Amino acid sequence: MSLAEIRITAEPIDTGRCKFMVSEPVHAGGVRRFASPGEANGSPLAEAIFAIPDADVAEVIVSGNLVTVVKRGPAPWQTVGKAVGQAIRAALAGAGPAVAPKPTASATPGADDDALYERVADLFESQVNPMVARHGGRVELIDVQDAVVMVRLAGGCQGCGMADVTLRQGIEAMLQQHVPDVKGVVDITDHAAGSNPYFAAAKK
Amino acid sequence: MLRPGTPRLLLLLPTATYRTAAFVEAARRVGVDLTVASERPSTFQDANPGGLLTLDLSDPDRAAAEALAFAQEHPLQGVVGVDDDTAVVAAAIAGTLGLRGNGVAAARVARDKHEQRTLLAAAGVPVPRFTRYGVDDDPRRLAAGVSYPCVLKPLRLAASRGVIRADTPEAFVAAFERVKRILEDAGYGMRDARCVGAEASRIPDLASRSLLVEDFIPGREYALEGLLVAGELHTLALFDKPDPLDGPYFEETIYVTPSRLPADGRRAVAVCAARAVAALGLREGPVHAELRVNANGPWLIELAARPIGGRCSAALRFEIGETGKGKRETLSLEEVVIRHALGMDLPALEREQRASGVMMIPVPGAGVLREVRGVDAARRGPLVEEVVITAHPGQELVPWPEGARYPGFIFARGGTPDAVEAALRAAHARLHFVLTS
Repeated sequence: MSLAEIRITAEPIDTGRCKFMVSEPVHAGGVRRFASPGEANGSPLAEAIFAIPDADVAEVIVSGNLVTVVKRGPAPWQTVGKAVGQAIRAALAGAGPAVAPKPTASATPGADDDALYERVADLFESQVNPMVARHGGRVELIDVQDAVVMVRLAGGCQGCGMADVTLRQGIEAMLQQHVPDVKGVVDITDHAAGSNPYFAAAKK
Repeated sequence: MLRPGTPRLLLLLPTATYRTAAFVEAARRVGVDLTVASERPSTFQDANPGGLLTLDLSDPDRAAAEALAFAQEHPLQGVVGVDDDTAVVAAAIAGTLGLRGNGVAAARVARDKHEQRTLLAAAGVPVPRFTRYGVDDDPRRLAAGVSYPCVLKPLRLAASRGVIRADTPEAFVAAFERVKRILEDAGYGMRDARCVGAEASRIPDLASRSLLVEDFIPGREYALEGLLVAGELHTLALFDKPDPLDGPYFEETIYVTPSRLPADGRRAVAVCAARAVAALGLREGPVHAELRVNANGPWLIELAARPIGGRCSAALRFEIGETGKGKRETLSLEEVVIRHALGMDLPALEREQRASGVMMIPVPGAGVLREVRGVDAARRGPLVEEVVITAHPGQELVPWPEGARYPGFIFARGGTPDAVEAALRAAHARLHFVLTS
């Protein structure tokens, strides 16, 4: 596979967040989240994205073929996206993996992500998913990294006009109550691909 | 974890609004304790009774009583509505709880096109000549007494849904019947533009069984986004609408700011909008006004006590100063609205330096959406910041005047309004919607 054959599709979520779908797997070892340049050390792709000028990148999340970038800087995705695309191609062309494997739990400071994962998974199975199922939805727990929970919404939640309310006022609130060690929730859903949202929007 | 003493905001979000993500994110950035109220219950309401609330958004008085009961346990410091209906509910709640907001009477008048026109005309604000008719009136009889060209419009439906220009008596009769059918399709007007599902909000009978017929005002159209603070209107942005809105239908497309209208024209528009809000008695919160400008000056076409609709607010950013890294820090329109509702400090309300624009992507035709091609190419266009397709595969697209949903939005920023407008048009030209009948 040559670099020219790698296709990258950018899907801006808003001015601060953008998802990049890559035609080749970027990281096959689950989800990795980088919340600072220091955490990116050893992962060429994340290092390169944090180094993009004027983007003030705050977070990089890599999972399979999906790279999610969160930035604080005002530079538009039109320019930042090109740099992210170059970084992805360069990292895939490198001799080593684009993203280093997830550190083992014993090497990770702070909360034990594996233990958190189990608690969050239990909560999702016992309470969260039965609730969203009433609207034909489903919440998939993708990973827990540094006490940040990564989820993907599916069914009626995918593309739903109230998905952010479900995420922040529902899922995040329940996590704060039942698993207070969780520091945050990241939605990595491709909402644009939702074909059966429970609530669809109309201009008002 | 929020600090003790964090203000609690009640955010009124109808389930069909486009505004959810922008307002929820803004509330997080402002750092408020958030309660979201909708007309239908969230499946998480029992799990988070302080953060989620169900209110009857079709009945402001009842909603205010429900909010009062809620506030006994969860004291509220501010309330924000996001559209025409919830602006009235927010006013009722603000009045009941003693929060910052408009009076209910003013908010109601702003929502009803006929009542609004009547007050504005009485105050000497330039508005088209207008008459209200009942949907059961005989259009053939009415057609002889109407001056042409005219515009027929429902009193409450949003997003120019059901708004039709007629140039002849024959066209008037056809348009009248068509508006009547649109109201019938909306539940004989008993439900508003969110007319999906049996639980869509209801609107009162008189407004739903009436329509407005007014003179067509030729000229270029502009949209003023403003914020009222203690009765004073601050202009946040003035948008050009460069595509002619001459009918027969009035689907909107491009908004670009700053306006290319000469300075005296911009001042005249702002003065006209300020006179209009004063005439209606609006005093607090966001205002969205649409005006036409011709040789006779500005004419007030629509005024709403809410922020700009759809996802268009993403075209606006307000600078609040330098960050520690020498970069400009900005606020969204939603952050400005929330801060104002809570009585928090407001920045200078200066829009960013660059030109900005949004295109509400026109409905490409009637049919079921299968896919949208060319999105990546559109995003790669110069100055384009974002292309958002909000229609989902399998969704039925309905053209205006029956429709009210844009399939998506394009955003661009650049050095000049001309460059931004060109970028929006170029990006749109790269999109191809695949529909099946």
